[in-house]
Amino acid sequence: MADTSNQSRLRVRYRKDGRLAYLGHLEVLGTINRSIRRSGVPFAVGNGFARRIRLQFSQALPVGASSLGEYYDLMVTERLEPARALRMLRDATPRGLAPDAAAYVSRRLPALEAWVNRADWDVTVRGLRSADALAAALADLREIGELHYMRGEKPKSIDLGRALVSWDVAPCEEGLRVLLATRSSNDGALRPQVLLDAAFATERLAADVAEAGRPTLSVCRVGQWHEGEDGNLVEPLPTDGEGA
Amino acid sequence: MRLRREDLYPRLEPLLGQVAKPSRYLDHEWGAIEEQDGPFHVVLMYPDVYEVGLPNMGLSILYTAINRVEGMSCERGYLPWVDMADLMRAKEVPLLALESSSPIASFDVVGFTLAHEMACTNIVEALDLSRIPIRAEERAQDDPIVVAGGPSVWNCEPVSPMFDAVLLGDGEEAMVEICSCVRDARARDLSRRDILLALSRVQGVYVPSLYDVVVDETSTQWGYAVPKPKTGAPAVVYKRSLQGFSSTEPVPQRIVPYMDVVQDRLAVEVLRGCARGCRFCQAGMTYRPVRERPAEQVVAAAREGLALTGHDEVSLTSLSTTDHSQCAQILHALNEDVRGTGVRVSIPSQRLDSFGVEMAAEVGGSKRGGLTFAPEAGSQRLRDVINKNVTEKDIDTAAENAFRNGWRRMKLYFMMGLPTETDDDIVAINQTADRVLEIGRSVVGRGPKSGVSVSISVAVFVPKAYTPFQWCGQLDLEEVRRRQQLLLGTCPDHAIKISYHDAEVSLIEAVLSKVGRRGFDLILAAWRHGCRFDAWTDQFSFERWTDAAAEVGMDLEAIAAADTPLDARLPWEHTSPAVSQGFLRREYRRAAQGVTTPGCTRESCVGCGVCPKLGVENAIVGDRHGRH
Repeated sequence: MADTSNQSRLRVRYRKDGRLAYLGHLEVLGTINRSIRRSGVPFAVGNGFARRIRLQFSQALPVGASSLGEYYDLMVTERLEPARALRMLRDATPRGLAPDAAAYVSRRLPALEAWVNRADWDVTVRGLRSADALAAALADLREIGELHYMRGEKPKSIDLGRALVSWDVAPCEEGLRVLLATRSSNDGALRPQVLLDAAFATERLAADVAEAGRPTLSVCRVGQWHEGEDGNLVEPLPTDGEGA
Repeated sequence: MRLRREDLYPRLEPLLGQVAKPSRYLDHEWGAIEEQDGPFHVVLMYPDVYEVGLPNMGLSILYTAINRVEGMSCERGYLPWVDMADLMRAKEVPLLALESSSPIASFDVVGFTLAHEMACTNIVEALDLSRIPIRAEERAQDDPIVVAGGPSVWNCEPVSPMFDAVLLGDGEEAMVEICSCVRDARARDLSRRDILLALSRVQGVYVPSLYDVVVDETSTQWGYAVPKPKTGAPAVVYKRSLQGFSSTEPVPQRIVPYMDVVQDRLAVEVLRGCARGCRFCQAGMTYRPVRERPAEQVVAAAREGLALTGHDEVSLTSLSTTDHSQCAQILHALNEDVRGTGVRVSIPSQRLDSFGVEMAAEVGGSKRGGLTFAPEAGSQRLRDVINKNVTEKDIDTAAENAFRNGWRRMKLYFMMGLPTETDDDIVAINQTADRVLEIGRSVVGRGPKSGVSVSISVAVFVPKAYTPFQWCGQLDLEEVRRRQQLLLGTCPDHAIKISYHDAEVSLIEAVLSKVGRRGFDLILAAWRHGCRFDAWTDQFSFERWTDAAAEVGMDLEAIAAADTPLDARLPWEHTSPAVSQGFLRREYRRAAQGVTTPGCTRESCVGCGVCPKLGVENAIVGDRHGRH
């Protein structure tokens, strides 16, 4: 068994935008794995059967969704200056997934996917005009609490009372702009498409949707945080540590 | 009509959210060449979806070679999956190249890879989606010049009406010459016909429209091709063969896909050609002579390719990698190189002998998944007929070594319907599998926890042009099904798992391998009946093919099963890999007698005719003679 005590945990923030918004989560993972190998950053390799790079990601983004801030934690065998590591990674990564910040974090932190549990979303809804009706539909859904939906052929459900923190709907040039705050847990994460599809199916919007057709969405995750037990939001990247 | 060169991604983008795997259509991969300034524009089309086409080595080689030429730009194109193709038609979006999202029909040259016969309806689909007239003769002066090349050109007659030109053999230099020829001809404002005449002067280029098909008493019903008068086209077009293989770019695959592709790894072509002489194998006959890259070049290429791409696996590809005279040296060096990095080295297939197992152990490290061997035939008699040059002792020794080295699962590839095959040969497939299973149990143990298992996969033999079996008919469908049942019924042990290929797919493949130019009517009718992606099990429809055959008056089963007289003129005689018909006839007769022929990289020349005809020779960097 290799000694891992000298390894450091480098946290990297990256964007997902442009055409690469259409990558699936596994495709993002594969692309970043290869970017790390190309970069020359001294990555650590696990001791398992497959000898993979020691790497963790924040929660999956849906296909088609862009993001201003995704994260991965990379275990490295040599503590490079974060600015240097960031430059090496950026030079080896496709533009649409380019990293823009990096810092070392404590190895004792929980796994990134579970630790980052709050997200803000900016959604453009094309094909709907009534902000009040959509806001009211979202309120209705939150009031009901449990949202049942299908993921492929699998029935799923999520507690909106916990998962949907807040929403704001306003008219915009293309239709409606919806700002959502969501909270994830071991029970799952709320996807904006799921929530808004459920809203479109409510009586408040049924007539509009029947008239204009199913609205199309542009989804962007604009921020992610860890929500502490006291309810405070913690930035995933330390602002006063070894950052770049 | 040539479409305007313009970026149509904004019209494609709204469709991405409505289709499966949108990453097929994104471009902007790491390593893709984004500057596509031309002014001469080429697009290389692989007639299948992105994940099948992207790893294609030939396309990568040509992409690199053309993009290195001053003033030429080369992009890639793939066939959209059926969901996207239907949406593009509905929204009137033409087929686009990846890099610039320009219409395929806006390019100067459109090159198709002929990867296998079952892609033929996909080529029709691609041309139709592109809005390029499907038949070459219907194209206007400004339309792109549509060319083809690749491993499946050796009977290109049934698809030839779609192509202005077909390249035979190695493309590294020839494709650049083709593009230069078109560019210069366009600059001189030559007519389309004169451009084609100029192309016919490029060595290795076949221009179908310059040939007439003649059917007479010397030919089969498919006839043979003769040059039209006053065209100056050669009676026989011989392939291009690159003697300086080791001086070509050893790392042509630099594009790193976002999505999972069928061969998701760095590939380094360690040698080209195979002289083992298996009589069913078209590639073995058509890629001669054998040319190796030196060990140090292979190792350096793998090192460079891994650094450029970030892949975690490197595959040493060729028709027979363990035949490389420095195979062991390469694998030792590579394993040293990648130690501790999580990178894996792989070879595509193992030779059926102890050296093959040694090399498998070398690349597998401590990992012991399944090990695959291809005896091809169950009995020694039939293996001699097909010139497999593998004995029962070889199989037994390889199996014992493999089990002793830690493997537990063995996969064996066979073919059914080989010439002279009898029921005894079918039963012998099971006997071979049973013997391997017993060897495994004697080495590892008999208990259920030993994990020893053997699986056999049985394909239906398809006779191919330019092999010694090109005159043979295919086993008819009913007999294939009877022999498949015989195979299942004589399986001696439940630990042996049997799978076999769809006989109907093999039947269509045999038809397409055998018919002449008139076969294009069948292909076009099949496409009109809805055939596309015929190589995909869930898309293939035998019924559509039989409907199409009925429409054009063809009997598919009779065509596939027909034997051809040895002295008949064949529809593909004018497009030659330079293997002589005399050699093929001799091999056919030796097959009938069960006499084997050794490979020329270990023994003396066997007289296939390639080297003297093309002025080339085997280029072996080490010594193969010590290894059999």
